[in-house]
Amino acid sequence: MMMKKKFAALGIAVILAAVSLAGCGSGNTNSEATNKPTNAAPAAEETKTPDAGNEPAKLTGDFEIQYFVGGYGDKWWKKVIADFQAANPDLKIKESSGPKINDQNRPRWIGGNPPDFVYIDGPVLNDRQMVEDGQLEDLTDWLKDAKNVDGDLITDILAQPAQQFDGKVYNIPLVLNSWGVFWNKALFKEKGWSEPTDFASFLAVSDKIKADGITPFIHTGKYPYYINGSILYPAIVSANNNDYTILQDMAANKVEAFESPAVLAALNKIVELRDKGFIDKASIQINHTDSQMLFLQNKDAFIPNGLWLPNEMAKDIPAGFDFGFIPSVTQEAGGKVVANTSTSTVAIAKNGKNKEAAKAFLQFIFSKAQASQWAELSGAPSNIKGDISASNAPSFVKDAAKYLTDPNTIVIPTITYNADVDKAMMDATDALTISTITPEEWVKRVTDAVKKASK
Amino acid sequence: MNIQLKHPVAKLVVSVILVLWGISVLYPLLWTLFDSLKNNEQFFMNAPWSLPELPLLWSNFSYVWSKYNFSTYFVNSLVITIGSTVLALLLSATTAYVLARYKFRGSNALFLLYISSMMVPFVLALIPLFFLMNSMGLINTKLGLIFVYTSSLLAFGIFVLVGFFKSLPKELEEAAIVDGASYYGTFFRVMLPLSQPGLITIGIVNILNIWNEYIVGTILINDPDQYTLPVEIGVMQAEMQYRTEWGPLFAALLITIVPVLIIYIIFQRQIASGITAGAVK
Amino acid sequence: MNSGTVKWQRNLFIASFIVPTLLFFGVFTIYPVAQGLYYSFFDWSGMSDKKTFVGFDNFVEMFHDPIIWRAIGNDYFLVAGKIVGIMLLATFFAVALTRFGFRLAGFFRSIFFIPNVISVVVIGVLWNFIYNPQIGFLNGFLSLFTKEQVTITWLGFPGHTIWMLLPPAIWAGIGFYMILLIAAIQSIPESYYEAASIEGAGQWKQFWSITVPLTWEQIKVSILNIMMTTLNGSFVIVWIMTEGGPDNSTQVMGSYLYQMAFRQYHFGYGAAIGFIILVLSLITTIVLQRLMRHDTVEMS
Repeated sequence: MMMKKKFAALGIAVILAAVSLAGCGSGNTNSEATNKPTNAAPAAEETKTPDAGNEPAKLTGDFEIQYFVGGYGDKWWKKVIADFQAANPDLKIKESSGPKINDQNRPRWIGGNPPDFVYIDGPVLNDRQMVEDGQLEDLTDWLKDAKNVDGDLITDILAQPAQQFDGKVYNIPLVLNSWGVFWNKALFKEKGWSEPTDFASFLAVSDKIKADGITPFIHTGKYPYYINGSILYPAIVSANNNDYTILQDMAANKVEAFESPAVLAALNKIVELRDKGFIDKASIQINHTDSQMLFLQNKDAFIPNGLWLPNEMAKDIPAGFDFGFIPSVTQEAGGKVVANTSTSTVAIAKNGKNKEAAKAFLQFIFSKAQASQWAELSGAPSNIKGDISASNAPSFVKDAAKYLTDPNTIVIPTITYNADVDKAMMDATDALTISTITPEEWVKRVTDAVKKASK
Repeated sequence: MNIQLKHPVAKLVVSVILVLWGISVLYPLLWTLFDSLKNNEQFFMNAPWSLPELPLLWSNFSYVWSKYNFSTYFVNSLVITIGSTVLALLLSATTAYVLARYKFRGSNALFLLYISSMMVPFVLALIPLFFLMNSMGLINTKLGLIFVYTSSLLAFGIFVLVGFFKSLPKELEEAAIVDGASYYGTFFRVMLPLSQPGLITIGIVNILNIWNEYIVGTILINDPDQYTLPVEIGVMQAEMQYRTEWGPLFAALLITIVPVLIIYIIFQRQIASGITAGAVK
Repeated sequence: MNSGTVKWQRNLFIASFIVPTLLFFGVFTIYPVAQGLYYSFFDWSGMSDKKTFVGFDNFVEMFHDPIIWRAIGNDYFLVAGKIVGIMLLATFFAVALTRFGFRLAGFFRSIFFIPNVISVVVIGVLWNFIYNPQIGFLNGFLSLFTKEQVTITWLGFPGHTIWMLLPPAIWAGIGFYMILLIAAIQSIPESYYEAASIEGAGQWKQFWSITVPLTWEQIKVSILNIMMTTLNGSFVIVWIMTEGGPDNSTQVMGSYLYQMAFRQYHFGYGAAIGFIILVLSLITTIVLQRLMRHDTVEMS
């Protein structure tokens, strides 16, 4: 009885906790679009019908595709899945998709019951981690002589080769994209600002922009991988004599790479932007939508972003807005442009149940026709070599594609960092932009994280 | 009866504070309504408190209702909320009655178990919960969600109802037993009806909680036909990162808020007594 | 014989009322929570099917993790800030709405509770719009009084950003405790106050000598409750508004748990953080109980 009395207050408090606690949630949701694959656009021009020689017997059974819906939208996926369905009428295709699908399907991956095919994109999925966790099917041998539906070797038509993990291939890049810096050409013309070509001209025009009362530079502080991808990593490569292997060493958790003078030099460029007051103070707390909106309203002149930006914001682009884009602004005058590519890859689940269908789907999507189709429907370059100049893709996509194929551009292949190190770099860059740490402290912090992660 | 504040200045100051706080509470609701009638451009070009421009975009609501399928989610939320509330009431009332009226070995410990369970951070349980539901075939089902919600409501119900049953006079049961009623008859025919006010109170509080619940629903449901309203709100908010539709987002918020607001307005007395139940003797 | 049957019947009745509930509770609450805590002894990414038993390594690692210390500090900052802010305002409102004879008291009481019926997700979204540096309400309001546009980054200070999470937490929490205190005050017999008035005690004196001691039990309950909900639940508003940033300056234990378990693939470590939350909740409860029990004795 004594006990009970003693606990009475506690008990009540706990109960009240229950009352006010429920209704809480985290930012974690899921969505799985069940687009009935049945109505498979019968009108689909069947140029891509798999020819019998390549295709094994008819594909049957269930086939589930997981794809994240982000800046590229889902138009291409809907189209290509419908086409694939039309080509394989006996296959029951299920789509798991949406902007939260990665969070959403995570328990199924853990539970050994994943979808058969996965498109690895979005902030939650990390291909390196998935490989380490043994989630993905080893495609090394298959890819060596896999031909697509047109009879081409798949490896021949990839603009960027697949990333290797200990010499093995698990995922194939589908989307080839580039980080970089955007501006509004129309605004620049109107104000008489010159478009930047290197770091010196970038600083010079920023001074002018600032003098004209506009903030030169905004970034997405809530998700600092934007500024890392568009400014920091290209700057490191430029400072490293255009040798991007330093980034690969960083991804392999080699401490020396992080301690290289090139890293410090790159960090100091960010410090320079900061100290000249070019960085919009709002940056630190806002997400990508907010930063992109401010950029579109011409409240800020430059934004570091990826090529998906115009497509992502399509509905909110004011009339007369004209995107200018350069993959990097941190090179010395006359130096080569550095394009930090961002590829999104596709893979087959090791525990998938219909790997046959998944492989056939790979053969289906890595065909030349999809290069234009992806560019048109997603507003971004695909990783499939193919001439898109005749397609309806937006002009800046064609420009970007030109950059990426120009021999004078240093193209950094996709590099995935260890998740802990990546987070440490993002946090540290944020801290750097608001002057809470120095570049040396950035290096110290990140190398500490590297040491811990590689233990 | 109350003593009036004597000093007029003091009274004025207190009034001003009350009014200001009242505005701070009501204004966001009004603001949500205004914003649900705007388009993106108005969000960025006009002051945050500006009124929506004419014509009002009521289409945001129909857009959300049909395109985002809110009609289905509404029904799902309704079924799940009612199902788990009823089941939780039954399970907690039975245990609470026994704990209040019968002494047996371990009864105190049992009571403490229910109460102290609330101190555990529930995030931890999410992944195991998923496996559990998966192995039971309850993933993506309303029944699965109802079971988990019910379980989460038990402690609160038991705590309040133990207090409630204790406050009922013993004579009533004794009379029933003299009349030849069984244990079960006494409970279902006499005690349960008598505890109606307590049951209603808990029921309402549970309804509010389940209606707003979001994280468990997110983990256990990935079939869009089975979404609840908050789960869909979360999905929408995530989509806003890639496709800005603030007007519809605010419309969706309002669709979700209004039912609980109505329930609150109707039952505010019961809710207040639910909060104070047990805490005030 | 007969009494045996009666006893058996009684036991059967008790069992039939206890067991189903307990089974339900055991399966859907106790088991998953226990399982979650059990993972704190493993090195597990949360995705892979291999888990490595590491004993107390996760806990040892925590000692060397500066972020967890900051998170604990932020948690206790929020606990302290919310207790002070909510209790001051809730008590003030409760007294004002019961003792001062306002005609609209019922109306105010009703509307002050409204934030409590709104989902935390909605509250987070609303306050994000209030704090938004460019299109936000707060800067827009301040700009009315200045020549230049105010562009304070309310959620992006180099330090102390955690302060900015207090207002939404307090705003959302008040109504609940106010109702609790109002009920307590109303249960105080009016005659106490009348007697005090006759003796010439003013409002202030009456508050300290009657209201506070006689509602002490509820005040105590409220404080404990604020502490517990904050340690277990503050991560929701943090996650929605800042995701623990910038640079982990608003990280609390719960958000860090989420970050580690679900974003950085250290589910075992996340589980260990959960263990710490549990332990700290228990310790803090005991300490607060001790402190406040002492006070009660003094009062009576």
